[in-house]
Amino acid sequence: MSGRPYRLPESAAQGSRIDRSKTVSFSFDGKKLSGFAGDTIASAVMASGRKVFGRSFKYHRPRGVIGLGSEEMNALVAVGEGGRKEPNLRATQVELYNGLVATSQNRWPSLEFDVGIVNNYLSRLFPSGFYYKTFMWPRSFWESVYEPIIRNAAGLGEAAREHDPDAYEQMHVHVDVLVVGGGVAGIAAAEAAAASGKRVLLADENAVLGGVADISAGTIDGKAQGDWVKAKAAQFAKAGNVHVLTRTTVVGHYHHNYVLAAERVADHDPSLLDKGAPRHRLWKIRAAQVIVASGALERPIAFANNDRPGIMMASAARGMVERYATAPGMNGVIFTNNDDAYLTALKLHEAGVGVARIIDVRANATSELAEAARKAGLQVQTGAAIAGIETSGGGKEITGVKVAPYSKSRGRVVNEEKVACDFVAVSGGFNPVVHLWCHNAGKLKFDETIQSFRPDRHGDPIMVAGAANGTFDLGGCLEEGYAAGEAAAKAVGGKAGKLSKAAASGGAAGGVEAIWFAPATGKYNEGNKHFIDFQNDVTAADLELAQREGYESVEHTKRYTTLGMATDQGKTSNINGLGVISDATGRKIPEIGTTTFRPPYTPYSFGSIAGTKKGELFLPIRRTSIYDWHIARGATWEPVGQWRRAYCYPSGGENKKDAINREILAVRNKVGLLDASTLGKIEIKGPDAGKFLDLVYTNVFSSLKVGKCRYGLMMNEMGFLMDDGVTVRLGEDHFLMHTTSGGADRIAQWLEEWLQTEWTTLKVFVTPVTEQWAQFAIAGPKARKVLQKLDSDIDFSPEAFEFMSYREGKLAGYPVRVFRISFSGELSYEIATPSNFGRGLWDTLMEAGASEGIEPYGTEALHVLRAEKGFIVIGDETDGTVTPYDVNMGWAVSKKKDDFIGKRSLSQSFLASEGRKQLVGLETKDPNDVLPDGAYAVAEVKPQPPMKMIGQVTSSYWSPTLERSIAMALIEGGLSKMGETVSFPLEGGKVVEAKIVSPVFLDPEGKRQDV
Amino acid sequence: MSDPVFNSALAHVADHDGAKGLSIAMREISDRGMIDLRGEATSSKFKQAAKSVLGVDLPVKPRTSVSKGGITVFWLSVDQWLITCPRGDEAKLVANLTKALEGVHALAVNVSDMRAIIRLEGEHVREVLMKGSSIDFTLPEYKAGLVRRLVFAESAALAHIVSDKPDTVDIYVFRSYADYTWKWLAATAKPGATIGLFQKAG
Repeated sequence: MSGRPYRLPESAAQGSRIDRSKTVSFSFDGKKLSGFAGDTIASAVMASGRKVFGRSFKYHRPRGVIGLGSEEMNALVAVGEGGRKEPNLRATQVELYNGLVATSQNRWPSLEFDVGIVNNYLSRLFPSGFYYKTFMWPRSFWESVYEPIIRNAAGLGEAAREHDPDAYEQMHVHVDVLVVGGGVAGIAAAEAAAASGKRVLLADENAVLGGVADISAGTIDGKAQGDWVKAKAAQFAKAGNVHVLTRTTVVGHYHHNYVLAAERVADHDPSLLDKGAPRHRLWKIRAAQVIVASGALERPIAFANNDRPGIMMASAARGMVERYATAPGMNGVIFTNNDDAYLTALKLHEAGVGVARIIDVRANATSELAEAARKAGLQVQTGAAIAGIETSGGGKEITGVKVAPYSKSRGRVVNEEKVACDFVAVSGGFNPVVHLWCHNAGKLKFDETIQSFRPDRHGDPIMVAGAANGTFDLGGCLEEGYAAGEAAAKAVGGKAGKLSKAAASGGAAGGVEAIWFAPATGKYNEGNKHFIDFQNDVTAADLELAQREGYESVEHTKRYTTLGMATDQGKTSNINGLGVISDATGRKIPEIGTTTFRPPYTPYSFGSIAGTKKGELFLPIRRTSIYDWHIARGATWEPVGQWRRAYCYPSGGENKKDAINREILAVRNKVGLLDASTLGKIEIKGPDAGKFLDLVYTNVFSSLKVGKCRYGLMMNEMGFLMDDGVTVRLGEDHFLMHTTSGGADRIAQWLEEWLQTEWTTLKVFVTPVTEQWAQFAIAGPKARKVLQKLDSDIDFSPEAFEFMSYREGKLAGYPVRVFRISFSGELSYEIATPSNFGRGLWDTLMEAGASEGIEPYGTEALHVLRAEKGFIVIGDETDGTVTPYDVNMGWAVSKKKDDFIGKRSLSQSFLASEGRKQLVGLETKDPNDVLPDGAYAVAEVKPQPPMKMIGQVTSSYWSPTLERSIAMALIEGGLSKMGETVSFPLEGGKVVEAKIVSPVFLDPEGKRQDV
Repeated sequence: MSDPVFNSALAHVADHDGAKGLSIAMREISDRGMIDLRGEATSSKFKQAAKSVLGVDLPVKPRTSVSKGGITVFWLSVDQWLITCPRGDEAKLVANLTKALEGVHALAVNVSDMRAIIRLEGEHVREVLMKGSSIDFTLPEYKAGLVRRLVFAESAALAHIVSDKPDTVDIYVFRSYADYTWKWLAATAKPGATIGLFQKAG
């Protein structure tokens, strides 16, 4: 490292983006540096005299800045610390702010001395496809040995390990016209489209509009291009129908002009975060018309060791000087195949940066710019190419270039001349940025004039204008921009508005001659790498090897060599790679075709993809009206869909198991209170309501008396159980259906669908009311006593309020619906009150029950209580392949009804056949053995699998009531195997034996609930 | 026996009567009763009976609402309406509707506690809504009176544009989602997160 300052003196011609009155301090790899407001990391670090920014992906070669903006593929840095660290940012794009902390990547232990560089010297051992060829055997090493080593050695930055403290968000927007890119063409397009009054969104990835207008040749309306841009930006800022998004990269184009754009809201100024700004905002744009004005990117030339720090794109060198007053070096060589690089030579020369020579591969260079360069006294050498780079410091510092005569197809030359220099500015022509055009299957055509692909057909309402269309002259960019804007506005029904079009002068596109490979002198390929894809360390030799090995399809070559992969997506490498393949195979570039351009154009943060959905907003958590009480009582949660239900309430240092046992015994011996608000509730009314229920349930409901409750089973068309619950007849033509908690929405939709699509003549309305009601089960021998303590117009006496009946009235002043039903086998009432009264009634019941020892019980106690009684749970005992007969509930399947959903399926041979799995109870031989849920029963225990499986455990618990384990299982022909023993081989070799019994373990006569 | 204790869906949120420090005004509205009404829009008997109780014609055009006195009726679908009224009136209204609709195929249900209402006011309301849903709230037809169901912030919701000068929008979500919706709105309506989308005088 030289340590020389490369900041040029203050002048109107250079440093347009920086404010020298504002010094900004930051650090790079721990070293304190300073720059100016408006600098990027790249410009400020380079101004400090530093050229090396990182190590390359595979060979760990030192790399410096190559580009000016988002195309940068070498100078990737991590910015931020701790949870705020973001890797793989392009140093050319990151705006400087006070306190910014940047670190280089892919180096160990340090950027200056990197151990991985040994890969470079061993590179002849690393041809393309090296991994595929080498790490094949043994197969068992793929994941555990090879992959971790390869991933550690190769790679980009490291992600943060800490929690990201910042906010992110997403925004939806619908516009008539989206213009992508705020360069000259994009501004013209936006202005023309907006003149119609239609809504225009203009998105640009840079901090200010203009693209490269400020560093390009030509004037607009006699003014500097930069001035015209500023005037238009001011005009847009006032227009009600134009919204401009800067620092916003349009990352993907999808079907129907759905477009994603990633806005970096606060990256340039973290103080915005304190005011509540999201760090990034992901825009989800629906655009009637899209105009792609994404510009063009300069491409490198493949010459020997063209990746050395200090070799950069000619336009980037110019931009560094003009925008940031940062010189790429003291004395440079310009290497080009086109006219634009002469502008760089002139600008550098004007800024006082030495230009040792302009080397042009073309036989003649006679453009205006070339003549101007000669006139300025610059040495122009045509018909020549750079054949090699001389460096010191292990490739970190350029000392000169080797120049050799060049003409296309001439082959190798051995005579060379050395030219001393400390940097090289290269231009291999320009590639239209067609990524966005191609994301959703836009076609490309090869244009001989620009020696590159440009947009052709597209199936979407999308247009292209300016350099993105291969139109490189200033006048053409303006014209195409206006035309596209007008056409887009017209396509969305806009009327022609007032628009005074600007006129360009100068800025003609120069000629270009293709050069895909500049031969090296000296022994063939010795220490010479001609890089095509810098980010993935893919060389021309790699691509040639891939051709020799038969990877004819360009997609195969891409995967074999990694050309155009990763974050860069072939921005600079694509055409050069195709050129090399073309030279190697004799096929023309259009015949080879391109690889697929995939979103994103540049990477965007996971934070913006998550948006607001993180932390407590990751998913909606549905709360019952008792939620806060559950928390205060120390409940642990069971997620049921998006609901949180209290699982159990450990208290006084209890573990969950003890809490569950205590809650169960409270219900069996005293009284318990359960929050059952999540149960699905659907009101069903109409003259055909009874008939309708007969059709959707397996059992009969039309005969149910008003004020009575009945348990129902619901099947799908296949005859499999899908829901169950208690339905109540509120009135002659009015029912209230209860569904499982998980089935609430699904069953309501199911009922609606049958009414709307199959039974359209039935007069029935179905209204889901789940959330209107808070609902509690009060269960246990003392349940009635507790209710009778409260003031009520309901007579709770057993004679007046029988099992399976319903009352409506007031309880302690609360309006209630009371259902005397039981899922625990105990005396039990389910009490519903409007949700906003839920908490009040709950507190009242807890208070009234205190003297009876009332305890809240959670879902696990609920499950054990019902299992002791042999009641099924849809989703435990059933898995979508289980019929009512399988769970021994044939009693609930009507033999009288003509039809109901699933009836026909039950008689199909497979469902009616012998040997189906049937629900039984299990008593383990050792009462202390609790079988694992899902344990397999086998026909015969063998030393190792396979063993014939004859069934599985569906529910298994410790029953504190019976002081032993209980389980339910689906066992082949289980009902005919009562009393037999089945074996369950468990993991670890243990075999649990269990006796097949009735699943009703407690109170088979049902005496406890009917008191 | 004391009066029943009433807790609205967002009663547990300290500032549910008026959130502070946001780019919009936001508060819970808990003083409205709600009734879900089903019936056949093709039946003049049904419509007449409903009108006799509500005092207004049921809106039959999608995404519209009508208001009179304290009663507002939202069109929800071809056979479903949501009626809002001052809380306390709903039980009587349901009874009156049920009586007037005797013999007519219809279903009126008190659903006053089924949804929570969050009122949003201010110039940034529409853009805050567009952070949580793909609906274009800037369309010219999105003016006072419009009502529509939508997915907002991962939840089934209903939006009612109460006023467009200044912008006032009521968001209805099912009660259990109210806490999530409130937190989402608070998170996306930070003063530093405003956008000003298409809001210039132009």
